[in-house]
Amino acid sequence: MLKVELKRKLLDFSLNVAFSVDGETLGILGPSGSGKTMTLLCIAGLIRPDSGFIQLNDRVLLDSSHKINLPSKARNVGLVFQNFALFPHLSARENIAYGIQNRSRQEVNQRVQVLIEKMGLDGLQQRYPHQLSAGQQQRVALARALAPEPEILLLDEPFSALDSLTKEQLEMQILDLRQFYKGNIILVTHDLAEAYRLSSRIAVYESGGIIQCDNKAKLIASPANLTVAKITGFRNLLPGTINDVTDSHISIVVPELGILKAVRYKHSRLSSGMSVTIGISPEYVKITDHPGENTVHGSLSRIVEEIRGYRCFFQLNSAQSTFYQLDAIISKSDKSIIPTLGSNVYLHLPPEYLVVITH
Amino acid sequence: MNEYLAPLWISLKTVLVATVITFVLGIAAARWMSRYTGKLKPLIDSAFILPLVLPPTVVGFGLLLLMGKHGWVGKFLSLFNTTVVFSWPATVITAAVMAFPLMYMTTRGAFEQVDKNIEDAARTLGASEWRVLYSVTLPMAWPGVVAGTILCFARSLGEFGATLMLAGNIPGKTTTIPVAIYFAIQDGDMKQAVYLMVIVLCIAFASLAALAFLKKPKPRTRGLLVNAAPTDILYAGRKKDNPS
Repeated sequence: MLKVELKRKLLDFSLNVAFSVDGETLGILGPSGSGKTMTLLCIAGLIRPDSGFIQLNDRVLLDSSHKINLPSKARNVGLVFQNFALFPHLSARENIAYGIQNRSRQEVNQRVQVLIEKMGLDGLQQRYPHQLSAGQQQRVALARALAPEPEILLLDEPFSALDSLTKEQLEMQILDLRQFYKGNIILVTHDLAEAYRLSSRIAVYESGGIIQCDNKAKLIASPANLTVAKITGFRNLLPGTINDVTDSHISIVVPELGILKAVRYKHSRLSSGMSVTIGISPEYVKITDHPGENTVHGSLSRIVEEIRGYRCFFQLNSAQSTFYQLDAIISKSDKSIIPTLGSNVYLHLPPEYLVVITH
Repeated sequence: MNEYLAPLWISLKTVLVATVITFVLGIAAARWMSRYTGKLKPLIDSAFILPLVLPPTVVGFGLLLLMGKHGWVGKFLSLFNTTVVFSWPATVITAAVMAFPLMYMTTRGAFEQVDKNIEDAARTLGASEWRVLYSVTLPMAWPGVVAGTILCFARSLGEFGATLMLAGNIPGKTTTIPVAIYFAIQDGDMKQAVYLMVIVLCIAFASLAALAFLKKPKPRTRGLLVNAAPTDILYAGRKKDNPS
């Protein structure tokens, strides 16, 4: 259990966040310069915030109102840096043992051996960091951070320096880590997919604040605002006004396109007349040949071939000058349903996948 | 023969003691200043480097004023009925003062090149500041520290002007090699002068060469000068090897 409240003001940036982690993996997602790493460094005690409160399990690490500020060495927090920050003059084994020097020699040997096995580093004990691959370096960094049995593990963009194959393997390693490390984990990243795979909850950062912190499925299903929607990958955003709210559905008037219906999940604050943005992920846009409910008309303007599908951009036919574009992802096996460039088709937007974003 | 050897013996004693003193003080000052962020930083920094740019005679004169009968240190020492002026410790003091900026600057440069994340990693692993210094910062900055020490050694060995001001020329007591050479030439004793010159040449060349051969066959990570010969850092550009 970790509780964090931090305030820190710099010349052109201010951090003001509050969140908690309860034995789970929390992903901190946001663009660079949004204060993600600063948050980790504050928790680790390497940066002192102007004011704040940090409680880790039953210990208060920082409480500015009571002038408590434990130094880094007393916090029992494991931190893995983006560039791993291994000790270049120590072997892999010595790196891992660094944090447990105060234990007996036998205990150290035992603990190091356990970690070397768990991290798949057998045979590399005597190598120096420069003799290890990036993936191996990271496993050493993880083992080193885990050796003192920290109550929380902080991972600062742990995969950004790696190629995609190594990255995939190490993600598995972190998922496997959960089998023997039961503490809290905070993972800082700017990659949504990575945060989604590895964490159970995600906090979205923007310029020093948290704009949404939710269960990952909920974050994707109902982004709190447009910024979150853009970060979580909604490309098809249409402006509209709510004209009716029922128990099960919400109808939204989109200028010049007509009425679209969305399934109502847990939107308690919605009411008629609110202006909203509706969004739908490209993979849920369906191409059909007949008009109907929740269906718009448009022409195919461009096709981009991706690794696992085709991305089709449709320009919607609106009566006047408003320019709407929708894109749909068609899997390679469905190639035959892709119309020819420039042809007019109907696009069905299933109500269950339409997401209503309030402003 | 013995009076020929006396300056060598005095110089060696002086240089060794002065190098040990500057080694410790230089590292302490470098550590302090590489982390100090107060407003006085430029002033303190300049004060530490000052002896390097002042004429040695000015430093010697300053020390003489400070340690003479009417100076603060001189008055304090006279309470114990001692004085350092024109005594052997004066040669050590001047050599240390003149060599200190070299140790301080080189070591500080090396400390500032150490990736701060690596020191921070040690802190999160429970290391005290003291342990961070001796187990991470110093080993990683070692080539710079060694380079600073060599420079100190060389500078102390060659110290002349300030030494003459504070320690004078008392044969067998304060006459170091450079002072002896100067007075030997004044007295027309070319044999003694050449003899001492060759000794100094040998010592200086041998110590530099020995250290250049002492390449540590140890790790070299991206861009860090860990594997470099201690003398390499003297030529290395300050910032170009900064990893990030």
